[in-house]
Amino acid sequence: MKKRALAATWAASLLLLATLMAPGVVRADDTAELQQIKREIEQVRTDEQREERAHEKLIEQLEQKINSLENQSQQLQKANEELRVTSQKAQAQTSQQIQDIHDQLGSGISSSDFSQAFQNYLGEHQFTLTGGVAGSYIYDHHTSTNTFAMDFEPIILYHLNDWILFEGSVEANLPAGSSAEFALPVATAQIFLNDYLEVVGGIFDQPFGDFYEDQSPFWVNRFVTAPLPYGPEALIPPTDIGVQLRGGVQWGQLGQDVDYTAWVANGPGFDSSLSQPVVGQTLNEVNNIALNTNSKAFGARFRIYPLPLDSPLGRLELGASTLDGNWQNSLSYNAWGVDFAYLKGNLQARGEYLEMYRQMPSASPDNRQGWYVQVGYFLNGLPMPWLPAKAQDILQKFEPLVRYSGVNQRAIVTNEIATQPEIGFSGSPAVFTPHAREVALGLDYWLAPSIVWQNEVDFELPEAGGSAITVTAGMPPGVAPVGATANDVAFLSQLAIGF
Amino acid sequence: MTRGLTILSLAVLLLCAVCGAGRADESAAQRRELFREGARLWPIYCAQCHNARPGSEFAAYQWNSIMMHMRTQANLPAKNARAILEYLKASH
Repeated sequence: MKKRALAATWAASLLLLATLMAPGVVRADDTAELQQIKREIEQVRTDEQREERAHEKLIEQLEQKINSLENQSQQLQKANEELRVTSQKAQAQTSQQIQDIHDQLGSGISSSDFSQAFQNYLGEHQFTLTGGVAGSYIYDHHTSTNTFAMDFEPIILYHLNDWILFEGSVEANLPAGSSAEFALPVATAQIFLNDYLEVVGGIFDQPFGDFYEDQSPFWVNRFVTAPLPYGPEALIPPTDIGVQLRGGVQWGQLGQDVDYTAWVANGPGFDSSLSQPVVGQTLNEVNNIALNTNSKAFGARFRIYPLPLDSPLGRLELGASTLDGNWQNSLSYNAWGVDFAYLKGNLQARGEYLEMYRQMPSASPDNRQGWYVQVGYFLNGLPMPWLPAKAQDILQKFEPLVRYSGVNQRAIVTNEIATQPEIGFSGSPAVFTPHAREVALGLDYWLAPSIVWQNEVDFELPEAGGSAITVTAGMPPGVAPVGATANDVAFLSQLAIGF
Repeated sequence: MTRGLTILSLAVLLLCAVCGAGRADESAAQRRELFREGARLWPIYCAQCHNARPGSEFAAYQWNSIMMHMRTQANLPAKNARAILEYLKASH
């Protein structure tokens, strides 16, 4: 288009030049022709200008299109870049998430998380089975008896919520020469009212002294047998049925505590198989809901720990107990006792002294005293460099023990002498003398914190004195003095497991 | 005298009941402090009667019940019982 316009311009210019250079040739028709040429030239110019404007407009449109396309291209590039960045981020996040999942799978769920999840799964109402089992071999020299015996005593704990717990203990006993016996020595509801007060109701271990409540489980008692004041001729009834209030509080530094137990219960009952009450009569082992009297027995126990936890002097426990009531209407029963326990490193010692007073229908009361003291030393950690390592490992699991216990009472009842051994009792008749004395040597081998093989040799060394009473229905009691009584020795070996 | 002792005991109990207050839930910092205290108390308090049993012997939920049982048996101060429980459950 531009070339054509240029050619036309050139042609018009040459024509005009030739016309102007023709000398002396000017005619009328030439003038008209010239005018015509001028018009044509004008027309050509006009056409050229129009074409130019058209071209410029077209160029402008094209430039706008180009700009538009360039903008679109830039936007596309920008969008493409954003997509690329987003894609990279997504890839990185996915990789991280996959890595996290791998890490979680690799490390497993944490113990606390699992514990919490499991507890949530179980809910608040939970049963827990614990308790103890024991199998014994028992030999008594005087009766020439040797036998096996076993006892299974599960404790079922039912956790209702954080402030109510039910506890039931079932005892399945297989005494020698007899079929199994079952008992329900403990069945309580424990209600924690606040940090300082708890209510316990039901059949419970007598909270008098330390033995029944805290030392009687097979694996907790360092010996196979109970000390004499808590043995077959016990001064205090082992269990009772009633209500307790109890609690403990720290009064000083950490470890300096004081605690209390106060209870009301049906009270003691004495051997009801005898046709009449006599001095020296044994206590019923388990008091059932049949009332002995129209009144209740009241008991209280206080315990204090005077030394702080980190005291270089060790840990000391001092306690005092009392139990008062009627064993028959208008016939009172009173008991009191003091006790201690001491712990320092591998050394542990404990002891109790207790007295019982029983009002009798006759003028003479039934007074009894009992005591025991025991000491043990766990060889764990004791350096024995002269021994091979294997021998050290074995020896350091031993705990040698010694215990001295005794009971004084005015009389014993011959009808009640039982020489049938059972778990925790050798069957020695020397235990049933009015002034019984016993030295027990023990050697425990600890397989685990609650699994122990216990060995015990009992030297029964009764002292002369007191009376032996024989009760015959319809007859006055026969009373004979007790002179020197033969010593006796017994051996007991027991595997006790606390589970 | 013994009856007087019993009456005195009941008076102390009533005082405890009046003064007693329920506990609030422990914060994380309080629980860490309980754990540290429980680690100190566990070997001494348990050994008062028997060998201290490790936390691994029972599941954490079982320790809840067992420590309630032991708080009763030994009349443990409530805070100390919670500290031992925290230690046993955490060392499970």
